[in-house]
Amino acid sequence: MSTQAFFHSLQNGALGISIGKLDPLFGALAQLFHIAGFLLILTAILIVNLRLFGVGLRNQSVPQLVKATNPLILYGLGFLAISGLFILLPSADIYYPNPAFWAKALLLSLALIVQFTLYRKVTASESPNRTLASTTAVLSLTLWFGVAFAGRAIGFV
Amino acid sequence: MTIIEFLQLLHDSQLGTALRESLYMFPIIEGVHLIGLALSVGLILLTDLRLVGLFLRNVPVQDVLHQLRPWVLAGFAITFITGTLLIWAEGPRIWQIPVFPIKLLLIALAGLNAIWFEFKYGRTVLEWGVKPEFPKGAKVAGWLSLVSWTAVVICGRLIPYLEATQH
Repeated sequence: MSTQAFFHSLQNGALGISIGKLDPLFGALAQLFHIAGFLLILTAILIVNLRLFGVGLRNQSVPQLVKATNPLILYGLGFLAISGLFILLPSADIYYPNPAFWAKALLLSLALIVQFTLYRKVTASESPNRTLASTTAVLSLTLWFGVAFAGRAIGFV
Repeated sequence: MTIIEFLQLLHDSQLGTALRESLYMFPIIEGVHLIGLALSVGLILLTDLRLVGLFLRNVPVQDVLHQLRPWVLAGFAITFITGTLLIWAEGPRIWQIPVFPIKLLLIALAGLNAIWFEFKYGRTVLEWGVKPEFPKGAKVAGWLSLVSWTAVVICGRLIPYLEATQH
C-alpha cells in the first residue's frame, strides 16, 4: 500500500469517519489541547535547556530539573498525540500532499530520537561537559521549536 | 478616529502592505509569535504554578521569580513585537473575529495583575518566600495569572481557527 493510499484509508476508516462526524466543537477542542501540549513540552524543555547553557534556574542541578519537568513532557506528549490524531485522521487526504506536514513529521522524529538518547544521557549527569551540554541544548531547542514552526506552517502551505 | 479606521490606516501603510504581500514574512512572523509563547506565557505559567504550590516546590520562589525574569521579558518582547506586526498587516480582518478584543482585554487584566503582584509582593519575596505558607494575595495573583494567560492562549489559538472556519 502506498503512503497516499494509507492516508486515504485513515480518513475513510471507521475512526476517521467517526471523528469527522463529531461536532465542530471537538475540532476546536483538539486544537486547544494541541497548543496546551505544545506549551507543556516546549516550556519544560526550555527550562532544562536554559540550565544546560548555565542560565535560568542555575541553583538547581540538571537532573533535579529533569525530574521536575518530566511529568510536563509526558502529559504534553499525551495531549499532542491524542489531539494530533483527532486533527489528522478526519482530514488525512489534505495533510498528505502538504510539505510542511512532512517537515513537521521529520523534525518530530528527530526531536524524539534526540530526546530519548543524547538529551536523556546528557541531562542524567550532575555536571555534564559544557560543550556537550550546550550542543545538546541547541539541537534540542532547534528541533522542538522547528516542530512547532513547521506545525504552524501547515495552515499556510 | 475609530479603532477600525486606525487599523485600516496601518493595513494600508507601506509596511502593512509589504508584510501581507510577502509570501514568507506573515507565516514566519506568526510562527515566531507562537514560539515566543513558550518563553513568555510558558515560563509565566510555571512561575504561577510555583506560587500556588503545584510545581517546582523544592526550588525557592525567589529563584523562580528572579532567574526566569529576563527570559520571560525577552519572550514578551518577541510576542509583543510579532503580535504588533500581525495586527499591522491584518488588523481590520483580525478585529472582526470576536475573540480578538477579548484576548486584548485578558492581556490587559493579566498585565495589571502582574504589576499589582510586583508592587505588593515582588519586592518582599525574600521575606515571605522562605515561609512555609505564602501570603494569600500572592497565591491569588498566581491563580489569576494562571487563568488569564490560559484564556489568552485559548483566544489566540481560536483566532486562526475561527478565521479558517468562517471562510
